[in-house]
Amino acid sequence: MSAGPGRLGRRLSRILLLLPYAIQHPGTTVAELSRRFGVPKTELINDLNLVFLCGLPGYGPGDLIDVDFQDDRIFIHMADYFSAPLRLTPAEGLALYAGGEAIAALPDMEQAESLKRALQKLGRALGAGRDGDDSAAIKVRFEESPPAHMVVLQQALAARKQVEIEYLSSTRSETTTRNIEPWGLIAALGRWYVVGLDHLSGEERMFRVDRIKSSTVTDESAAPPDDFDAERYKGAFVGREGQPVVAMDISPDAARWFEDYYPVASSAAVADGWRRVELQSSGDRWAATLVLRLGSQVRNVVPDSVTKTAHSMAANLAERHEGTAGRK
Amino acid sequence: MRRIERLINLIAALLDSRRPMTAAEIRERIAGYQNDNFEAFRRSFERDKAELREMGIPIEVVKDADDVDAYTIPPGKYYMPDLDLQPDELAALKLAADAVLGAGDQASSGLRKLSVESEADGMATPRVVWSADVAAEQPLLGPLLAALLDREPVRFEYETGDGRRSSRRVEPYSLVHRRGHWYLVGRDADRAAIRSFKVSRVVSDPEKEEGSYEIPADFDLDRHTGVEPWEVGEGEQVVARIHFDPSLAWWPQQNMTGLRLSQMDDGGVEVDMPVSNLDALVSWAIGFSDGIEIVSPPEARDRLVRHLAPFTGGGA
Repeated sequence: MSAGPGRLGRRLSRILLLLPYAIQHPGTTVAELSRRFGVPKTELINDLNLVFLCGLPGYGPGDLIDVDFQDDRIFIHMADYFSAPLRLTPAEGLALYAGGEAIAALPDMEQAESLKRALQKLGRALGAGRDGDDSAAIKVRFEESPPAHMVVLQQALAARKQVEIEYLSSTRSETTTRNIEPWGLIAALGRWYVVGLDHLSGEERMFRVDRIKSSTVTDESAAPPDDFDAERYKGAFVGREGQPVVAMDISPDAARWFEDYYPVASSAAVADGWRRVELQSSGDRWAATLVLRLGSQVRNVVPDSVTKTAHSMAANLAERHEGTAGRK
Repeated sequence: MRRIERLINLIAALLDSRRPMTAAEIRERIAGYQNDNFEAFRRSFERDKAELREMGIPIEVVKDADDVDAYTIPPGKYYMPDLDLQPDELAALKLAADAVLGAGDQASSGLRKLSVESEADGMATPRVVWSADVAAEQPLLGPLLAALLDREPVRFEYETGDGRRSSRRVEPYSLVHRRGHWYLVGRDADRAAIRSFKVSRVVSDPEKEEGSYEIPADFDLDRHTGVEPWEVGEGEQVVARIHFDPSLAWWPQQNMTGLRLSQMDDGGVEVDMPVSNLDALVSWAIGFSDGIEIVSPPEARDRLVRHLAPFTGGGA
């Protein structure tokens, strides 16, 4: 299936972008182009020297693109047909639009109005060549996150302060209170998480914002690492060294969706379409919850402690739901 | 001459030329093609067209006066339309581009195209506090969106949840991101009904089909994609009542504000939820491990107990 543009395609795309910029900003410098397009100066000069050899049929002095260097200033003539950029590709438009929709829903977002207007215009650009607005073509749906906590977390991030949260973790059935140093807010798998250093465990953790019961900015300062890289938290899971591993066989039916939602470290075929998967476990209760969700679609769970936890959790749940409703 | 020079010459000529050029004219007039014999030219030209189309350059084929194929790049489809983006709007889009995880390159190259007119250095990077994994790197989204925008039906191989594959002809109406995954909502032409397709289960490159379509004015996306998993299903919709123990009462009060909540005498809270997928409800309820109870309907209680049977020694 589609592999995306190669090196040649990427270079050509860049040239088709830096030409309009240089044409619309006569006298721009190599340094400015280099910074703006994120390319080393030597490569930029190569690009410009290449453009110099191209032009329209005839290829005489009046047909070739004219690149005029005056000291380090650049003037491009005879290339009016490259004075505007290529329209957005669907993939570029979609990434930008979806990213915009995701953050437009943030509560208290200062730029929300500007973003809304920008997305409307972007919708028009996507449908270029057609009449009408195509912004309805793309929808990003996130679960609603409690606005109050989102606001507190954003304030703490901006002020580089720690936050005290009461949190319902997936490894316990009651809330715990802890101080965290927030590093960033990450939307993944359709919901918002805060990632940061958890002072309760001394480890880096991701917290689901909907499971935060209360949040308060504290006076203590927070120091996000300089090399903080949000890409690491894609898929809403960050592995930790020395984390226990849980292994299980899952049925052909479950195998089809399982890897879309869980951080599978390895996966291998066993008999009859079943697959043996290994995951980093966030604790026995976390793993047992996963196993219970799979129900009859799972077998041969290792370690035993997960199975034992699953049995006792299942007994509690089943007891409460047998017969007619009788609330405790 | 290097291939990249030939490609730039080809774009320039087709974009600037007032009339479409036939293959013979291209070979004769555009620098970079002359040295080839016709067969070799044909191969280079096919490869070049494919490369440019991959980049999103609209090379179109029309018939000239003698009914021969002729090629053109329509300026109206090549150039970015003037969007009149204001500085504050560009700045907001910059925030969006910076937030995108996974497809950040696509988002920032899009942003660069949009900022060509702007003096402001679009690429300065302040510290980003939000990031959004919108799974936009999924490679089939581009082609599906292109078909949607051009209102061209597509055909693809689709694998359903039970593993069966079939060829589907679909008129795309919308692309929806939910729970980390993309869905194509559109009219399934063979079934004459609106269906939702998980993009990760499309197992072939979508091929454009002949014809065109309109999206009906009364198309209501919400009817075809529920927000919560228990709202998505073929089953009839019922109202399920869920009891949250006092220790967990804050959770629905905080997160289920759109639903009817009832305060109970014991300090707990009960929620009425519209459900059309009991299995998804069961899976969701297990996520709380304890502290909640499905009060009704009885089928949902039953479903939970049977689902847990492999772990409770009950007959599965």
